[in-house]
Amino acid sequence: MALKQRLLYLSAQSTDPRSLALSQALHEPVRDTIVEIDPMRTSLDYETVHDAVCDGWRVVHFPDQRGSLDGSDIEVFGYQFVLEKLDQFDD
Amino acid sequence: MTSTTDISVENLLTDYQVANFVINGYHIVEPQFPADFHSKVYSELELLPMNPGDEINKVIPKIDQVYEHPAVIGALSSLLGRDYTRAAHRHCHKNHPGTRSQAWHQDSLNIPTLDEGHGRVSDHVQSVLVMYYPQYVGSNMGPTALIPGSHLFTAAADRNASHGNFRDQIVAVVPAGTVLILHYDIWHAGTANTSDQIRYMVKYLFERASESTEPTWNHDPDKDDHIFERLEHDEAALIQRSLVSKRNYRRTTMWNNLAGNAGLKYEYHDKWSGDWPQPNK
Repeated sequence: MALKQRLLYLSAQSTDPRSLALSQALHEPVRDTIVEIDPMRTSLDYETVHDAVCDGWRVVHFPDQRGSLDGSDIEVFGYQFVLEKLDQFDD
Repeated sequence: MTSTTDISVENLLTDYQVANFVINGYHIVEPQFPADFHSKVYSELELLPMNPGDEINKVIPKIDQVYEHPAVIGALSSLLGRDYTRAAHRHCHKNHPGTRSQAWHQDSLNIPTLDEGHGRVSDHVQSVLVMYYPQYVGSNMGPTALIPGSHLFTAAADRNASHGNFRDQIVAVVPAGTVLILHYDIWHAGTANTSDQIRYMVKYLFERASESTEPTWNHDPDKDDHIFERLEHDEAALIQRSLVSKRNYRRTTMWNNLAGNAGLKYEYHDKWSGDWPQPNK
């Protein structure tokens, strides 16, 4: 067993951690896994970043407050928070 | 190119359906064929020794019948004009059991057989992807996933590569023979096939040949106010508030580009006058 970092990417509707999450991707520290689009999923694991924090996730990256690339032709969906949780995993 | 004699009024889209396409970026058609038609197409696909690429319609001519069905022609004429053209590029996706999901993407623009000058067009319908599924697609068979309304936004896929599942994604769990018409720029992905069946999807591209001078669908100008309301207020997928005004502007511009001389006329009205808010209880 080893302590490993789980990563949860949550994109929120604003820089407010209590705003609704619009997407999520959970990266488990397990080789040969990928983050798949789950066609059976009807909701996200957390409604907001704050909900995830209440569940023990720790924010390690906050979105840039300059926000999305407003005024540019390039758009990015949401404001991305990256969270971590350390758990024991088999090597 | 279609002939106007192929187009019957009852197969044209309604204002409501065109507004849905502008807002969400997709439209579903279920053309009627004999009961065994699609299973025969599936059987012929199974016999192909190799991927015929653009020649898929030559090796299985039945597939052209799907794209030439009056219901499909009516929908395409409504969205692209009656003189729309079929691009030379076609592709059959063969999704084996065990196939993993794709990442979210907009389809490539680097297709030489698309008309010269084809690019992302967030405020018009210049090209559509038309996906035909010859078999039932269950949720475990690698259905196509979409982000409704995402055709209005342009972004490099690598800038949006870390999203995973969206709150408002939808998946095309559809009966055999379904035709899914997508705005070319919609964000989509094939998902994992965890079933024990191969899932086929045949994709054709169609393009606009000329600008609209009038609506090419069953248009009722009396519905313009209602359409304008929908373009301003209907939700597709959840997005950040700072993109909403851009989204609404592009929706209205797209509608007006489709409608030609019958575009929506914006008239200012004071929407704030009226009753005062009630005291909090």
